[in-house]
Parts: sequence; C-alpha cells; structure tokens
Amino acid sequence: MDRNYHVFSDGRIERKDDTIRLVTDGDEKKHLPIENAEALFVHGQIDFNTRLISFLNDQGVALHVFGWEDYYAGSIMPERGQTSGQTVVSQVQAYDDTEHRRELAASIVSGSIHNMRSNAVYYDSRDRDLEAEISALEQAASRIDDGLPINELMGIEATARKAYYRTFNEILPEEFRLSNREYNPPPNEINSLISFGNSLVYANCVSAIRATALDPAISYLHEPGERRYSLSLDLADLFKPILADRVLFRLVNRGQITRDDFETELGSCLLTEHGRETYSKAFEETLERTVDHPNLNRKVSYQYLLRLEAYKLKKHLLAGERYEPFKRWW
Amino acid sequence: MTETDPVTRLLETARGNPVDNPFRVTGVMMQYYHVCKRELWFESRNLEIDRENPTVVRGTRIDNTAYDENRRNLHLGMISIDLLEDGRVIEVKPSSALTKPAKMQLSYYLWYLEQIAEVTTDGVLAHPKERNRESVELTDERKMKVEDAIRGIYDVVSKEMPPPAVEKPFCDSCAYHDFCWC
Ligand code: SF4
Repeated sequence: MDRNYHVFSDGRIERKDDTIRLVTDGDEKKHLPIENAEALFVHGQIDFNTRLISFLNDQGVALHVFGWEDYYAGSIMPERGQTSGQTVVSQVQAYDDTEHRRELAASIVSGSIHNMRSNAVYYDSRDRDLEAEISALEQAASRIDDGLPINELMGIEATARKAYYRTFNEILPEEFRLSNREYNPPPNEINSLISFGNSLVYANCVSAIRATALDPAISYLHEPGERRYSLSLDLADLFKPILADRVLFRLVNRGQITRDDFETELGSCLLTEHGRETYSKAFEETLERTVDHPNLNRKVSYQYLLRLEAYKLKKHLLAGERYEPFKRWW
Repeated sequence: MTETDPVTRLLETARGNPVDNPFRVTGVMMQYYHVCKRELWFESRNLEIDRENPTVVRGTRIDNTAYDENRRNLHLGMISIDLLEDGRVIEVKPSSALTKPAKMQLSYYLWYLEQIAEVTTDGVLAHPKERNRESVELTDERKMKVEDAIRGIYDVVSKEMPPPAVEKPFCDSCAYHDFCWC
C-alpha cells in the first residue's frame, strides 16, 4: 500500500543506514517507515541534506513541503526511471489542438461540477435545504460544451464553485460560516481549512501523475505555468469535493476541529500544528477508504482513484480512447 | 517505391548496415505479439506503467532464480539469451498458459542466432514449477512462423494507435491491467 507520512514537528530528517529518521528539536529520535511510501509530507521547519534526497529518490518517494502561503510550498520529486517522450509529445499535441484541449477542459469541468453536486445532494438528504444550490450547479453543468473557449469553461466552473461554496453555510455550524472564498492569505477559519485540504489533494495528484510518466506541467483546463504542476490543478479539481471537502465537513460538524485549532498571524488565519495533524489524519484515512470499481471488478482506495485518473488521461492521449472524467458513482 | 520487407529491415539493422528505417524486435516483443498485441504496442512505446506491479516482479524473480545450473547470459544485438553449457538456448516459460508465446520467443532467438551469428542450435523450454522441459528445434515451418510474426509485429507497432483492449484470461496478471480497464 502506498502511504503518505506526515511530519509536523520541527527538526531534521536524515538518512540513517537504510531508513530515515526524524530528529526533533527536542532531540527526540523517531524512525520513519517510508519503505513503499508514496510521499513524505513535511509541515514543520525541517532541515535535510542531499543524502536524504538521494535516498528518497532511490526509494521513489516524493517529498512535499507544506509551509505558509496557502500551505503548499513545493515538492521534490523522485526521478522514477525514464520519462516517456511519446507521452509528452501527445500531451503537447492535445494542448496545441484547440478543439482537443477544449474537449478535455470541458470534461474536467463537468466532472468537477458533478462531484460538487454529489456533496450538495448528500447534505440535502440530511436535512439541509440545498435545492437552490443544486439547481444552480445543474444549470452550470448544462452550459458546458466541448466547443467553448477555455475562459468560458473557467467561468462556468467559477459560477458553479460559488454556488457550491454557498452550501458550506448550510452544512457547517454558524461559527464556521464562509462569507467569501478568498485566497492568500486565508482570512478566516473555513478558508484556511479549504486551502489546507486543497493543497493536500493537489500534492497527492502530483504523486499520482508522477507515477505515469505524464508531464505534470502540461495541463488543459488550467494554463500550463499557472503552477509548476498545473496538470495537478486539473486533476485536483475533480477530487477536491470528495476528498478535501468531505473531510472538512466531517471534522467541523463533529467538533473535532474547533476555532481553537487556528491561530492568526500577520493577518492570516492558519491551522495550528494540532489542527493540521487532526485534518491530515482524517484525510489519510479517507485516502485509504475503498470503493467497488465497476470496471476493474475489485475494491480500490480513494488514493488509487487519483492514479487511475492519471492512467485514464494518459490512455486517452496515447490510445485515443475516450476520456471520462472521474464522477463519484457511489 | 515499395516498402522494404520488415524481415530484411530487421536483419540489416541487426547486422549494423545502414538502413533508412531501422527496425528492432526484442524477445519480449515477440512474446507479447502472441500474448496480446495491445501489450506489444505499449511495450514498443515504452509506456512505463507500474513497474512495481507485484505480478511483474514475480515473473522476473522466477526467471532469475529458478535455475542455478550453469548458464551464461549473452547479449547479441536486439536479443539477450541464456545459453546452457552444451550451447542450447534456454527459455523459462512463466506459466503453462503462455507456452505458445514462450515457444515463439525461443524460436525467434534460434532464428536470430542462425541469421546473425550463423550458429545453429536447439532450444529448451523449461517450466520450473512443473519441472518439465521441452526441446524446440528450428524447423523450416518455425522459421516461417518467426518471419510472419516479425511482419505482424511491424504492422502492430507502426500503427498510430494501439489495438483496442480485448479481455483475455491473463489480463488479470498483466502490468497494464488497470491501464486497459480503468
Ligand atoms: S490487460 Fe489484457 S488487453 Fe490490456 S495489455 Fe494486458 S493482456 Fe492486453
């Protein structure tokens, strides 16, 4: 099982023989079992050296650094064998072909709205009145068309997301209302939670893409270059409702995350170490959840769904088979 | 201008003669051609799916450790073969379901040796679990089959797109399983 390991304390991570260990600032030593791990997430102030990086590279383990601005700071990715020239060429060809790019972008938007809607429907059935938002989401979905320019597709996505974020006010208790979704820095608790969750989804998509020899910098809905791994932005859009938002709703509604889990520094409201730990733990548990896959005839983890999404995209690009975006089916 | 026959093209490539459009066939490609043409196409494109797939790892391990008898590994251009002390080529077949592909792979080695190294020898097809061995000779009929397969391989790999996935009994243990069926 490919697992993620999260480190919250400050200190240093070092290679120790054939394993790695964490030495905290309090001089506590802890072995990190990263054999067969997917990635190591570092949330605290951590020192490391090139020996560690080579070791992680040999092990095929990514290192994702979580810091301050919107949480995600960057990744050190393992080389993972040769890259596939053919794959990159077909990625670029699809990007360059206006029709093809629009088609892919439209698929991503349609999947992402479907998954937002599935959250709204779920909470609607649990005594929230979300009919107005659901119909707004459906209306947005009906405007999607393969032939639309990217900025219009982006506009549809943004309209849908706005309606979707209104459902947060119904789903969450009063003190966690979301007035506005704002970025950089997240000005209130709920914005901060959304950012943290989204950045975890994003980083996991980076790992999933890496496992397929797709180039993470060539994307379809988002502009390449918007971020270094813009293809991760594309894939993350599909999974944010299922992964990040569900975790958020659960933790806040059950009171497992409270206002005490935030601190305000320099005008930004950020999760405390304890808050990050709580959230990450619930997030990892969600990644490990499984669901029956209709085509593979077996159970697959949510985390593996990310990998499958990258496969589907790659298969579409190389084999010309239709790309069906991930839409929650259960 | 007529297209050069893929067999000629392969031989010219293997002999190191200048050729407009070099064409290579590895043993694995010959095997995949008889297992699954889609897998062959993927292999020719270096698709690099899931190298950690447990089935793949298991296959490799049987191959490397099943026989500790004396055998030498020989790289010869496009192929890499295992020779027994008596000079016969040995090929380990991974499972009884894949006898034909393994036999074709072995025949290809024998054909290649004869054409390129001018060495005529026989092959041994071995199954470590069933502890049996079968001898394979390069008859005229086998030669023809090899050459037909080379042309067939050329047809598959020169296509822009892979053949569609068709479910087979060994799909479950194929490294591309999830890629094909997701
Ligand atoms: S999964 Fe089946 S169809 Fe796909 S490449 Fe493997 S053997 Fe061929």
